[in-house]
Amino acid sequence: MRKGKMRKIIREALIGYSFCFPAYLIFAVFIFAPIVWSFILSFFDYNILTFSAPRFVGLHNYAKLVKDSVFLVSLRNSAFFSIFCIPITLSLAFIFALLLNDNFPGRNFFRMAIFVPSVVSMVIVSIIWMLILSAHPSGVMNRFIRVFGIPPQGWLSDRRLVLFSLSIFLIWRSFGYKMLLYLAAMQNIPAELYEVAELDGVKSWQKALYITLPMVKPTTFFLTVTSVIEFFQIFTPVYIMTRGGPGYSSYTVVNYLYQTGFQEFTMGFASAISYILFVILIILTVIQRKVFRAEQITL
Amino acid sequence: MARKQRKLKRALWLSLRYLVLIPVAAFTLLPFIWMVSVSLQPDKGIEAYSFIPKELTFRNYLTAWNYPRLYDSKVTLGTMFRNSVIVSFFITIFSLLFDSMAGYALARKRFPGRDFLFWLALATLMIPFYVTVVPMFIITRNLGLINTLAGLIVPFVSSGFGVFLFRQAFFSIPLELEEAARVDGASDFFIYWRLMLPLVKPTVATMAIFKILWSWNMFFWPLLIIYDYAKMPLNLGLTIFRGQYVTRWGLLAAGMTIGALPVLIAFLAFQKWFIRGLTAGAVKG
Repeated sequence: MRKGKMRKIIREALIGYSFCFPAYLIFAVFIFAPIVWSFILSFFDYNILTFSAPRFVGLHNYAKLVKDSVFLVSLRNSAFFSIFCIPITLSLAFIFALLLNDNFPGRNFFRMAIFVPSVVSMVIVSIIWMLILSAHPSGVMNRFIRVFGIPPQGWLSDRRLVLFSLSIFLIWRSFGYKMLLYLAAMQNIPAELYEVAELDGVKSWQKALYITLPMVKPTTFFLTVTSVIEFFQIFTPVYIMTRGGPGYSSYTVVNYLYQTGFQEFTMGFASAISYILFVILIILTVIQRKVFRAEQITL
Repeated sequence: MARKQRKLKRALWLSLRYLVLIPVAAFTLLPFIWMVSVSLQPDKGIEAYSFIPKELTFRNYLTAWNYPRLYDSKVTLGTMFRNSVIVSFFITIFSLLFDSMAGYALARKRFPGRDFLFWLALATLMIPFYVTVVPMFIITRNLGLINTLAGLIVPFVSSGFGVFLFRQAFFSIPLELEEAARVDGASDFFIYWRLMLPLVKPTVATMAIFKILWSWNMFFWPLLIIYDYAKMPLNLGLTIFRGQYVTRWGLLAAGMTIGALPVLIAFLAFQKWFIRGLTAGAVKG
């Protein structure tokens, strides 16, 4: 009897392990080994092209990075995108979620229309916007601003404009997705809150400001942190539209990682970049999870 | 009288709403309409394109789809489209299988280290792709998968996010169902495959959409490991296209439309699942 029970336990464990095996094999090879490896690599000088053995250099890569002007510009650009885009994106997302929350003819069409830019591949929308932002006097954006009497601009080739132009693109790309999350959060607000307010004769804009906005605060916080995380990982639009230019003015951390790791193949240096990125992102993620758990609110 | 006034007020509100919404919908949609419009016009310099085509042609689509590339006489946009389909198909199928298997075991089997394994799956969510990408490249190279479609597929056939979602889904199914089947002498794989998996169809659909979209749109990894035009997925191919046909905007726009169309059609057809799949990423915490 005992022996039979023992066998059953072992059998169940074996089945459990074998069901987990394929997924965790992939995790081990492509996530857990690399995360350790890239930490180790960041202390080495290793060029994959020259076939020379990795050479231990201690903290040299990190020391080089903190003085590296391109890297510092990259960090500053991510900060710029966060500070500039997040307030605009979230306000737009909140306002349009409000407008699209109650029923009226055409609501579904507008929801979808606003969401479409988030669905199509980043490569394709980046190419479209590269053409729209063309410096040519007949480029779409230049034709548009001519209506207001503004002379043609080098949207992507002017150092002072390039971050601003990329920001317009980033806002266009992401506010629909953020609107959807706000909509989901608004659907969870108890209707009684509004009913009570209506009895007291509260106006619509007051309801939005004093009931809806506080009630979706967890979503606002969540979106703020995830947006910062997102803006520290921008690659594709910059790669396609500007290649980090003009000069180094629109470089991002991941573009620099690509440049050093996969154009120059200095893999140790690239690993150091990726680990600094990791530290930044992990701090943000931990903050987000801590607060989210405390608030105990799901979208 | 009061009723009439209320009606008027409502109509006023509605038109105000449209007044705000229509320009914004134009802002989000016009870039796509412009892309389609360019793809339908005969070749010319970018400055000569108008928003509304003066003459329509479908030639760009045929040319983009069939035209042999300059570098490699056999590779067309059609080839790249096929590569994208293959990669998306295998990533989706295998990750649904592996994630649901692991999720099932973590939810229903008792074995030492189970909680640790679940914690590991959650830990993968905290590790950004770009942080692991350098060693991933070296490992993939050592496995001989550089410049192969398999190299695009294998690293992504399981995800911590999927394991997590499936575990939660299986967790919420009553235990009695499974026990009844076990009494009838059903095997473990049979129970997982024929009994449990059909019960979590919504999760399967959500994950499938999420994975298809993700793999169809992936760009950074193909950019790193694929050199041959014949093996490029569509997304990567389009960026090369851009370089080659500097002046052939019509072809490029047709190529982009072909790349965007499957996603847009699927989006319109499965709106509900799309929104679930895309917002699921946000509730994983």
